[in-house]
Parts: sequence; C-alpha cells; structure tokens
Amino acid sequence: MNLFISRDELIRWLDQLLRERILAAPVQVQGLTLFQPISKVEEVTLDFGNTTLSPKEWFLPPTETLFSMQGNDGHPQLVPSTIEKDAVIFGLRPCDAKGIALMDGPFLREPGDALYQERRARTSLIGLSCRQVQPECFCTSVGSAPNDSSHVDILLTEIENGYIVQVITEKGKALLPEGLTESKEELPAPPELQAVPTKEVTQAVREFFDNPYWEQLADRCLHCNICAYVCPTCYCFDVRDYPNKGNPERVRSWDSCQSTGFTRIAGGYDPRAAKGARLRQRFSHKLLYFPEEFQDIACVGCGRCVKSCPVNIDIREVMSDLQQLEAKSGS
Amino acid sequence: MGLENPFVPYLATLKSAVDLTPDVKLLGVELENSAEKASFDYKPGQFALLSAFGEGEAPFGIVSLSRHGDGLEFAVRRIGTVTNALHELELGDVLGVRGPFGNYFPLEDYVGKNMVIIGGGIGMAPLRPVINQILEQRDNYQDLLIINGARTPQDLVFAPEFKTWMEAPRTKLELTVDRGDEHWGERVALVPDVVKEVAPSPDNAIAITCGPPIMIHYTLIVLKELGFKDNQIVTTLEAKMKCGLGKCARCNVGDKYVCQDGPVFTLEQISQFLEQP
Amino acid sequence: MDSELIQQIRYQARDLLESGTVKGVIGYERASDGLTARPFFAYEPAAVERLIFDETCSHNLARYLVDKKNEKMAVVVKPCDSRAINLLLNEEQIKRDMVFVIGVTCPGVVETSWNHKDEELQARCKTCQLVEPPVYDFLANGEAVERPQGEPYLDVQQMETKPITERKAFWSEQFDRCIRCYACRQVCPGCYCPECFVEQLNPLWVGIRIAPKENELWQIMRAFHLAGRCIGCDECERVCPVDIPLSLLNRKLEKEVKELFDFQAGLNPEEQPPLATFKKEEKLGFEE
Repeated sequence: MNLFISRDELIRWLDQLLRERILAAPVQVQGLTLFQPISKVEEVTLDFGNTTLSPKEWFLPPTETLFSMQGNDGHPQLVPSTIEKDAVIFGLRPCDAKGIALMDGPFLREPGDALYQERRARTSLIGLSCRQVQPECFCTSVGSAPNDSSHVDILLTEIENGYIVQVITEKGKALLPEGLTESKEELPAPPELQAVPTKEVTQAVREFFDNPYWEQLADRCLHCNICAYVCPTCYCFDVRDYPNKGNPERVRSWDSCQSTGFTRIAGGYDPRAAKGARLRQRFSHKLLYFPEEFQDIACVGCGRCVKSCPVNIDIREVMSDLQQLEAKSGS
Repeated sequence: MGLENPFVPYLATLKSAVDLTPDVKLLGVELENSAEKASFDYKPGQFALLSAFGEGEAPFGIVSLSRHGDGLEFAVRRIGTVTNALHELELGDVLGVRGPFGNYFPLEDYVGKNMVIIGGGIGMAPLRPVINQILEQRDNYQDLLIINGARTPQDLVFAPEFKTWMEAPRTKLELTVDRGDEHWGERVALVPDVVKEVAPSPDNAIAITCGPPIMIHYTLIVLKELGFKDNQIVTTLEAKMKCGLGKCARCNVGDKYVCQDGPVFTLEQISQFLEQP
Repeated sequence: MDSELIQQIRYQARDLLESGTVKGVIGYERASDGLTARPFFAYEPAAVERLIFDETCSHNLARYLVDKKNEKMAVVVKPCDSRAINLLLNEEQIKRDMVFVIGVTCPGVVETSWNHKDEELQARCKTCQLVEPPVYDFLANGEAVERPQGEPYLDVQQMETKPITERKAFWSEQFDRCIRCYACRQVCPGCYCPECFVEQLNPLWVGIRIAPKENELWQIMRAFHLAGRCIGCDECERVCPVDIPLSLLNRKLEKEVKELFDFQAGLNPEEQPPLATFKKEEKLGFEE
C-alpha cells in the first residue's frame, strides 16, 4: 500500500527531521546542485537532474580523522573518531542509492570499516525517483532503474500536488510522519532510457586486458581525479599522519587510482607508471574485479563521469568498444 | 561504536634496535596491552603495519622467531619517510602495530620436501622465520639449501645467524656478494648465477625466493631451466599499502589484493595474474 | 564549421604522418555527445579524417607535448594554446625540433561541457588580442572573423575595488567547494612538475585533507607558481567540476606581472619570465 504526501506535508516533515538529525538534501550552490546539510527546508531544491557530486561523501567523507593520539604524559592513548548524530539523506536518486549499497561490499566485509558501518547504521535514505532522465543516464543497463526502490528506506515519486510514498524498510517506516493517507494514484511508468550493451563487458575486460586500447585511450586522459570523485561507487582512499603539534592524527582522504604515484613505493618503483595501466585499472576494478567478487558491476549508470570528464572518456563508449574489440582485432 | 575500528593500531614499545647493515635495523617491539600481546600470533610470510605516529604507517614482513606480541621483530630498511622515522625511534618510544595481515608460507604443506631458500639483500628478512621454523622442526623436512646474497658483505642481514644455519643437519648455506672487500673470502657472484652453479634438484623440492625484483626475475629463469615447475616456486610481493584491510583499493595486482590474497604467491598464481607485478 | 580550415588541418596532418615526419598528430575530434570536441591522437594517415576544428575546440592540446616529449608530434593549436608551446620551450620542457606546430587562426571558442554548447564566446576570447599563433610551422587559415576587442581585466579590477574582508569571504566560499581533484593542475601546460608540492611529505606543505584551509593553501600556492607563467588558456576553469572561478585568480596575478614587469608569458620563447630572472640592476626597494 503506497501513501501520499502533499508538498506542505513534506515541508513539515523535513522541518521536523532536520531538528533531530543531520538532514542532507540537494541544494543549489552557484549553479551546481550538491548534497549539503540544511538548516532550513527552503534551502532544498528538487528541481534537478542529478547532483554534481554523489551522496557517497555521507558514508565515506572526502576527509576524515580515523583516530588521534592524546596524552603526552608517557601514557598515550589512541582515540578513535566517533559519529555524533543520526542523519537522513533526502532526495537521492535510485542510482546513487545503489551506489551506496555497492560500497557496502568492500566496507562491511571483514574486518568491517567501523566508521562507515556506524554511518550506514545511523543514516536513513529517502530516495526520489526520476520522472525524467538526462542524456548521460544509463542506469537500466547496469541493474538499476529510475524508479528502483531496492536500496532506499523510503522512495518518493513526484505526481501532481505531491509525492507517492513507498515505504521500503522498517527504518523508513519509523521515519514517516503521522497521518499520511493512502495514495489514490498508481505509480507512474518510469521514463525510457538508452540501452548500453553490458552483458559481455566483464569477459571483454579480462580477454583484452593487454590490448593496446588502454594505452591509446589514455593518450588524452589527464589523470586527474574527477571521474573517481564524482562516481558513486569509487572508493579509493589515502591515509596520512599529521603531527598536529604533538597530538598526531591519522587522516584518510579520497584518492584515485588515476593519480600518478598511486602505486609508487618508497625507493621509486612504480608498477603502474604507464598511463594506460592506470586508466585500465579503474575500468578493470569496476567492470571485472568488483563483479567477480561482489556479483555486480561497480557502475550505476549515473553518467556523472561522462558529464564531468574534461576529455570525454565515456564509460559507455569504453564498454561498447571493449565488447567490440574482437571484431576490430588489435585496433 | 558497534565495531572495533580496524584502523586503530595496537600500542607497542620499542624494545631493541640492532643495526643489521648500514641501512637496515632489526627493530624489536613489544605490544603494551597484555591481552593483545598474548593473542597476537603470526605465521611466517605475514606482515604487520608499523606506525611512527605523526609520520605514517607502512607494511613490514614479520621476521621474529617469537610468534606473539612480546617479541615481534621487523627488519626495516631506511628508504622513505616512515622508515626514516622508525630508524629515529629510541628504546622505550611508542609505536603502533596493526596485524598480522595477509597469507603465509604454507610450510605444513611442504613437510617431507627438500627446501631451497633463496634470498637477496633485505629479501632475506621474511625468509628468516621460514628457515627458523624448518630448523625447529628439522626432521619434518629433507635437505635445506640456503642461498643468500647481497650487494656487499655489510649488506648480508642475518650474518650472526649463519653459524646456526650452517651447523644444522642436512643444511647447506651458500653465501655470495656482488662486490667483495678485503676480508671477504667467499664467492663473488650474482644470486641467480649461484643458483645455476649449485643447481638444486627440482625433485620433491620447493623453492622460496625473496629479494630485489631484478634478482627474482633472473632467479626464476634459472629455476625454470633447472626443471622447477611454477607451483614449486614461491615468492612474496610488495605493494604500496595504506589500509592493509582490502578497502583502500591500492595494493591490488590485477584482481588480487596483496594485503589479503598475498603477500605469499606461487609462480603459478602470479603467471595467471592479469597484471604483472 | 569552417570546412576549408578543417581540410587544411587534415591535409597537413596526413602529409606529416605519411612522410613519417611525426609519430602522431594531436588534434580534435567529435566527442561522444555528437556536439562538442575532445582531444584526438592520430597515428595513421587514415585517422586524419576524424580531425575537426570548430567553436567547441576549447582544449589546450599543447599540454600533451610534455607527456610525449620523447617522440616528434604535431599539435593543432589556437593562438592562446601556442603560447603554452612557447612557455614549454622557454622552460626547456620540450625541444623545438620535436614538435610540428599546426597553428589555426581562431574565431574564438564557446563555453562547452558535455552535451552542452553556449552561443556566446568565452570571456577570454572576447578580450583576446591574438589573431595568429605566436609560434607555428604551418598556419591553417580560417575564415576571417571579427572578434570583439574587449577590455581585459574588467572583472579583476572590479574585485580589486572591494575591501579585503569581502574578497576573502568570496574566495573562501569558492575554495570551500574544492574537492582537490587536481584537474586544474593536470590540464595545465605549466604544471609539469614530476612531484607537485602538494604531494610532498617533507616538508608537509598542504597534506591530503580536503578541507577549506588546505584547499585555500593549494589554490593560492598553485596560482603563485603560475604567476608570470600562466598563458591564460583558462582550461583550469573549464575543467573544474565545481565551478571555481580560477581564471579570475590567475588573471589577477597576470595583471600584476604585466603592470610590474610589462611581461606576458608565452608570446616569445626567448623572453625570460620575470619571476625566474634575476637582474642585478633591479631595485630591491630598500637601498635608498
């Protein structure tokens, strides 16, 4: 049984939620849409395709302190960081929710990442299904859909005057405001999307691993970190210590397999010094290594990398190229 | 917090620091917490991440003869920021230990075999506890051949232990250096050439080799020429590491994480890797 | 699209590849959106048919010369891009005989992002003084186009009138969004250091934290490393995924260098950049 929430009820509900916990929602920031913690419901925008950065930063922040060392008196103690508040992510798209679910694979398997796990347990996801799609979207080709409710606690679908509310989990149920009525309307059909061939891509990455395709594609790659940072499922991170005037801190930050020196060891040896090898690593991880371990391609079809790559390295094109390499053998 | 934070190291104290070579120190470390000290148990091949707090953390093979947290030893070569900081520590200073991580040499599978241990330079460090375990259970193994090389006589890391090794039953120790000095009376040759010269038989044998990549490269060629099959040759891989937990996605060689699936691999496994290390 | 211009580029590229004069030609081809352009490396004569040139060709291809410095390459450059070639020549990052410069007379480029093309010219094109590239081996002459001759530095001057607190607040807000993707650095022809200061551990100038204070340090230090060297291609601003107005920052320093030393980078490969030059007769400001 689906419920209905009017726009006014929604505003009241969000207002109540943000008093009790951190509420992250899409906000317009200088022409971009970004998930930010809000203090007033008026800050929220729901007039957007998708945000520039994915909401993965709410589970794996761009920077966080893992622990700090306190007590200089000869008995130092290591104090791990803690999560202070419950949170709600409001307005995330089904593709992004799937991205978070995919990240659970590496972060929750033994030994579990304590900070990620705590955030995951204390964060609720209120999704917003897509009534329209963008030219870069291809979620249906990689196991998601504009109306996919699998990975959220509540899914809202916009209709006239308000939203149909699908309650997916107990966590979602506990979050709902009182007094919502049953929805009189049926869920609308989701919009159509382009199809990107993905069936053979895992095999193709394995089969054509040593193909010169990668070195050639890497010619134009700048090896910045944009694709990894905007991606909902990329999760490489760097760990460094800060001396911090005698109370050292260990900090982790986003990093990307694309950057030069990612695999360089002390002494100078670097197994992935070649541009092509680094570019291939990102696609191999997403399309081959991750699915072999977790049975799912680590791509949710959000198209952010397609939109943001300064030199148009387009994952849809790469997947298509790889699967056609047999036909154009060697080129 | 529901979960122990696996990024937080055990606190440990530096108990000993012995110069093995001009740039390698053998650091002896004791975990502070008695429960952690007792429960720490490693097998040769595994590694731990040592923290010089404020400078950083890096992976090191555990090389001690003791299994537990009271006497862990690490051979640390001074080459970068973290190793430099570890070398600067004084006895009694606090450092961090996370581990043991990774897989190990399956010595129980090699019972009854002839063991060929080939180490170059600092690569001899992870082989030291292997040799020791074989010597401790000497009757479980057949012949033991140790080929140990280094750039110069000063760079042979475990020289004080050579006598014990040589005097063990059915054990031969072949030493070599790239460049001798006026006191050096043994051979001057590269490790792969010594392997060729000594020509260990591949019959019922396992060869474990660690050392600089170029030494391994040529040693593998010689071993194959001698008739060793890929599944008879074992080595350890190095990679840049950060988390040691299979999460930061940095240490993978193809689809294998060195921190989880390694660092010990047979040549058969490595030859099937998509990427070559 | 100026088809005459494109034919000239293709003709030259094909000739260079067929004769083996160059290993490859770095130019532009159509991107996956069917609308904008992306860099393209042609290594076979047949591939030159993919080369295009139009108002979406914003990328500065000279940047790739540093990656390819061991092979002789040809590169298609607009007047602004070719200033980067002069910079790299002057700083001895590339050799003149290892690059064949296919210059184009550029009518200006528009703002583009994937699947999106503006009608209006980019701000830098509206103030661009160059008609021909200051360095080329072959000039592909396009249709003569009138480019508006705007006043440069108007936005910089406007910012200069604001009190420092307001300027600081403005830039803090901008740098807050930085995610340290380093796309600005990676796309910049002037940023070719094998080890960037931001990666150094000893001394730890910035560190890895992605946080306002560190972001500010990163951005300002990079801007200073480019002072007197930035050639104004504005690629940094184009590639930034969070729309930080990097061009405004870099042009402030460019304006100062111009006022103090009457110098602009990349117009002449022989002219030494002022911040890398020491002249005994320069006043240090405290002898008198």
